Amino acid sequence: MTPDQPVIRVRGLVTRFGTHTIHDGLDLDVRPGEVIGVVGGSGSGKSVLLRTIIGLKRPEGGSIDVLGRSTAKLDTAGWKALQSRWGVLFQNGALFSALTVAQNVRVPFLEHTDLAAKLVGDLIRVKIDMVGLPAEAGAKYPSELSGGMRKRAALARALALDPEILFLDEPTAGLDPISAAAFDQLIRDLQRALGLTVVIVTHDLDTLVTITDRIAVLVDTRIIVGTLNELLDNPHPWIREYFHGPRGRAARHES
Amino acid sequence: MTKATNLPPIAPIDAVSARMAHSADHLRLVASGAWTLAQIHQIEAALAVGHPPDIRQLRVDLSAVTALDTAGAYVLSRWIRRITHEGAELELHVANEAQKALLHRVEVVERRPLARQRSSAFVLMLDRIGRATIEFRHAAHDLLGFFGIVVITMFRVLAQPRRLRFISLVAHIERIGLHALPILGLLSFLIGVVLAYQGADQLRAYGAEIFTVNLLGISILRELGVLLTAIMVAGRSGSAFAAEIGTMKVNEEVDAMTTLGLDPIEVLVLPRILAMLIALPLLTLYASLMALGGGAVMAMTALDIGFAQFLNQLSGAIVASTFWTGMIKAPVFAFAIALVGCYEGLQVTGSAESVGHHTTRSVVESIFLVIIADAAFSILFSIMGV
Repeated sequence: MTPDQPVIRVRGLVTRFGTHTIHDGLDLDVRPGEVIGVVGGSGSGKSVLLRTIIGLKRPEGGSIDVLGRSTAKLDTAGWKALQSRWGVLFQNGALFSALTVAQNVRVPFLEHTDLAAKLVGDLIRVKIDMVGLPAEAGAKYPSELSGGMRKRAALARALALDPEILFLDEPTAGLDPISAAAFDQLIRDLQRALGLTVVIVTHDLDTLVTITDRIAVLVDTRIIVGTLNELLDNPHPWIREYFHGPRGRAARHES
Repeated sequence: MTKATNLPPIAPIDAVSARMAHSADHLRLVASGAWTLAQIHQIEAALAVGHPPDIRQLRVDLSAVTALDTAGAYVLSRWIRRITHEGAELELHVANEAQKALLHRVEVVERRPLARQRSSAFVLMLDRIGRATIEFRHAAHDLLGFFGIVVITMFRVLAQPRRLRFISLVAHIERIGLHALPILGLLSFLIGVVLAYQGADQLRAYGAEIFTVNLLGISILRELGVLLTAIMVAGRSGSAFAAEIGTMKVNEEVDAMTTLGLDPIEVLVLPRILAMLIALPLLTLYASLMALGGGAVMAMTALDIGFAQFLNQLSGAIVASTFWTGMIKAPVFAFAIALVGCYEGLQVTGSAESVGHHTTRSVVESIFLVIIADAAFSILFSIMGV
């Protein structure tokens, strides 16, 4: 296996809800160490793609290889091993509401490692600090945190086991522009420091412009991948509308 | 990036090694392999090897480290800090800048507790009792206020019957009443059977088995029929009121209603309360009949009391007031259950957890109120001599 081999390779993916086809023959490569943004109109299946890759939804056809492993062929132990090598940040954080932030970050350690409690406590402190939360946030419950802090806490949980891949579902949705920009920067910093491969599902054009290396656009049940500049010249009407519309222009202008 | 070479999954991971060498007051650590979470036990073991005291010069060479993550970096930096704390000077050689940045990043020196300071159990208990008492007072106050609003709205609507949501009312009657028939019928029938069996068992000692019928008639008509129905409906429909209205509250539907000029009390609460006032007495009658039926079947099979004899004995045992003292409670219980269900539904704020919390509370509070009301009725009836 060479370092250039894709971290995630999706080939001919087909997903359906009943008779409604979401993806039909979708191909996607995610390269190691890149930040890739997934965009598309409402209902184009961005979140479905993410959920399919991480195994929450079974695809109707096609293959998905993550870190060189075909996810369809994995047994329970294989899944567990793979799950410890990616972190997922759900749209609203999905922190366990009955647990404090520190306990939330501890969950992956309890499930996947057998480290001494003291070391786990120290690592939890490191993660909480890394995502830019104050040390006292560890003892708080999710309901006591603001939206931005909750996302950071969820990111700390996603990063607990030092995963190689980080999946983010709408990381900046519901945040004010200042918190959103700070969160973008945080993701970029952590990605550089930890050498993460990051897959971001987002609507936020600012996020796309500032932190992604490549962008995957879901249109017509397929996907078109390219850098921002390549996509700007793409003739597809939805892509033109997306990047050349007023919001797209504004986002590009700022950066 | 450091991780790139660590890509193959569940592949041979480069073995960790930490070679230590020292001369006089110099200590040298040459690390290699994957310094990651998966290898953390080996890393800790490798660093646990002792070193002579009074190190003045520490040289750490990470240029052969193929992968470094936060866990590895943290354990390493903790080790480095311990030695530099004793006065050693650090000389760090890294494979790339990312390693250096990461080592710096994990230096969290503050060791704040991750859990809150705990008070003693006794203080916590006092605290909880105090809070519960104050909360109870507030809840009682608010519920009384809500009762007032509902009564006022009810009179207003009765003055203008066109404002009554008739379709909603009928739909609620169907759900509270009709849909409860199978389960309530079965439950009442079985209670009748159990009561007849237990009663007969005790009365047989006095040769007074026939009085089982009196026991059944009075206890079911006066108390058990209505109480059983009320508790059942509180669990089934009172909780549903709280959950339905609570979910609407979470979706801001109640707010939308208000801004559109609709009164949530009139649209949501009143049809439910009226439906409950109509359905619960009917259900009570049905449940009482089913329980008596259960008793009659038991009497026939186990006590050899025929159906005609059962009816005869029953009509001798009960008078009209026996029936009405039971039935008159039904509308009161109905009002209490529906009021609490709607009230708790409207108390929901924000999140989905809040819906669950208030639904639970609605059941507990409405059953509590029903039993309090039942006790009050008992006292009232004994004063009146009924």
